[in-house]
Amino acid sequence: MTIPDRFLVYLPWAIATLLIAAIVHVVSILLMPTLAPRDAFARLSAYATAAKADEKLFVLPAPAPGAAVLPYEDASVVVGVCVYDLTKGLLRVAGPVNGEDYLALSLHARSGRIFHALTDRSAIKGKIDLLVGDERQIESVNNADAEGAKPLEVRVVAPMKRGFVVVRSLAKRLSDTPRARAALEAISCARQEPPKE
Amino acid sequence: MPTFEPYANYLRAGLVVLIGVSLGFALTLVALRSGYGFNPLEVGPWVSWPDIGGPDVDPYARAVIARSGEAPLAKEQGLVFVARVDTAGATLDGDCDYVITDPTPPTRFWTIDLAAPDGGAIDWPGGRRGYSSVDVVRRESGAFEIAVSREARPGNWLSPGATRRFAVVLRLYDVGLDAAARPDAAVFPKILRRGCA
Repeated sequence: MTIPDRFLVYLPWAIATLLIAAIVHVVSILLMPTLAPRDAFARLSAYATAAKADEKLFVLPAPAPGAAVLPYEDASVVVGVCVYDLTKGLLRVAGPVNGEDYLALSLHARSGRIFHALTDRSAIKGKIDLLVGDERQIESVNNADAEGAKPLEVRVVAPMKRGFVVVRSLAKRLSDTPRARAALEAISCARQEPPKE
Repeated sequence: MPTFEPYANYLRAGLVVLIGVSLGFALTLVALRSGYGFNPLEVGPWVSWPDIGGPDVDPYARAVIARSGEAPLAKEQGLVFVARVDTAGATLDGDCDYVITDPTPPTRFWTIDLAAPDGGAIDWPGGRRGYSSVDVVRRESGAFEIAVSREARPGNWLSPGATRRFAVVLRLYDVGLDAAARPDAAVFPKILRRGCA
């Protein structure tokens, strides 16, 4: 047996090894968001359940060493979160913003994908008013509109039934923290019943 | 080994599966440890991953986020830059003293704070964790300097606490920076080492 012959004998096995490795790699990467036990959604829904704040906006405690609810949060920012479940109805996120202090609102699907985001600068007429639902719910809301009527709120189609809303309010100075917190608490998350057919 | 001859292919197949699966998981582990997928925005020591804050986040970035448990800032809300090295390229070391100096890119607000390598809060009881563009103490020219040291420093001062490994996080809120264009390192803060204990 010459060397090229041996090489040809082992080549298919080597290819098979690499193929299996590639499949395992791709599948494990793709499954990670569904299988990771401590992703943001899991952390926040555990916190919401403990704080009895399901579908309500709750303010996260200031990050403490080894006890931050979410990693990589800004120490100068007050973070508010509400965890939602669209199977029970639509979600309304509304509140005033003053356009002077930074306030950012983002809608996250359970998988971690951000599907809608805005800051106080992009808020319309000094207020945020979002209606979040899945495709069917938003469609039924649109159908229930009177002919030619302009909706007052921004309607957002969520890609998944479950997810969470993050509101970040910047305290420009340490002494501004209560003000930033008040601006955050002015934003409300509430369940809204779908319109009657 | 003549007696194994009939089973040789079974043995090979088993070995192929074993090596393939472990190689696949090893690849996944390496991929998850080397940042958030594709398209990092590197400016001097600062690294940002704008794509993790958009709807088109790639599967690698999603897997990393799911594992770390963070809720990223949306692209249109701002950019988060993390530095784990100083401007000279050496890894940040809690035993050393650093200064972070201006300039900063034009932005509505910025904050600079320190984080543990996993994104958690720095263990530094009683101290402040960050500065913003509003409350940082500036010279008459508008320039600023933030000292990073375990020992107390006059003026702007942050402490990495007892840990040796830490990261500096620069957040640019409502920034006009085009993430697709390579920003100039000259408009980003510098992290200069001033000596080690």
